[in-house]
Amino acid sequence: MPARGPAKREPIVPNGVLGMVIFIFTEVMFFSGLISAHTIVKSQAAGQMWPPYGQPRLPIEETALNSLALLVSGMVLVFTWFAFKREAGQARIPLLITIVLGGIFVGFQGSEWAALLADGLTMQSSSYGGFFYLIVGSHAIHAVGALVALLWAYDRLNKDELRSSQLATVSAFWYFVVLVWPILYWQVYL
Amino acid sequence: MRLLPLAGLAMLGMAVLPESVWACPVCFDSSDENRQAFIATTAFLSLLPLGMVAGAGLYVRKRSRDVREDSSTPDSLD
Repeated sequence: MPARGPAKREPIVPNGVLGMVIFIFTEVMFFSGLISAHTIVKSQAAGQMWPPYGQPRLPIEETALNSLALLVSGMVLVFTWFAFKREAGQARIPLLITIVLGGIFVGFQGSEWAALLADGLTMQSSSYGGFFYLIVGSHAIHAVGALVALLWAYDRLNKDELRSSQLATVSAFWYFVVLVWPILYWQVYL
Repeated sequence: MRLLPLAGLAMLGMAVLPESVWACPVCFDSSDENRQAFIATTAFLSLLPLGMVAGAGLYVRKRSRDVREDSSTPDSLD
């Protein structure tokens, strides 16, 4: 009779997802600190102009449209998950759409930055410019990092090597990028 | 014992004379809006990590209960 060892216990949450959730917690605190500092500086300018006089206005409408692309990418990623659960191959197209929409968002943000820099809004031009580049730039770095993770997942999916825990981990990162953006948009742009 | 009234007087002076003291040198502003922003952001930054940790704890508890219930159902027994 073969010896029976202890039953193998599955983790409640995959290790990768748990690590990503802890990372996201730290990033939530990072962005909260930036938003808090921005709120205080903005409140100090109460009664004065905000944005300060002579500083270019941010493209609110164009960025709202761009934000829509980001939000849709998050929704498509939900479909990607369910498609992956049915059959891994079915997740290819929705995952690709997510990456393309995310790429559109990052590309538009880059072109917006170029236009604002040309208009004279720089890190040194005012605290308004400083906070804009710090907050939106931090988000852009996260968006690029999450896009790289999604591309890695897409590559593994094409090789039939992607595990559901890996998809869940990179998805959690992208959901963070998507969900934190409306708060930043509301705080910085409006 | 003659020092006691003097010490009491010194204590009283120290308690009454100073202006209000703020532990954080940048946490005071005469503007009401700015003061409210300080209070709101302090509350936000204090409660947010507690909320996240509590949320994670509740989620893990729910998941572990679900897993325990799944493993105790007759179908899953081998």
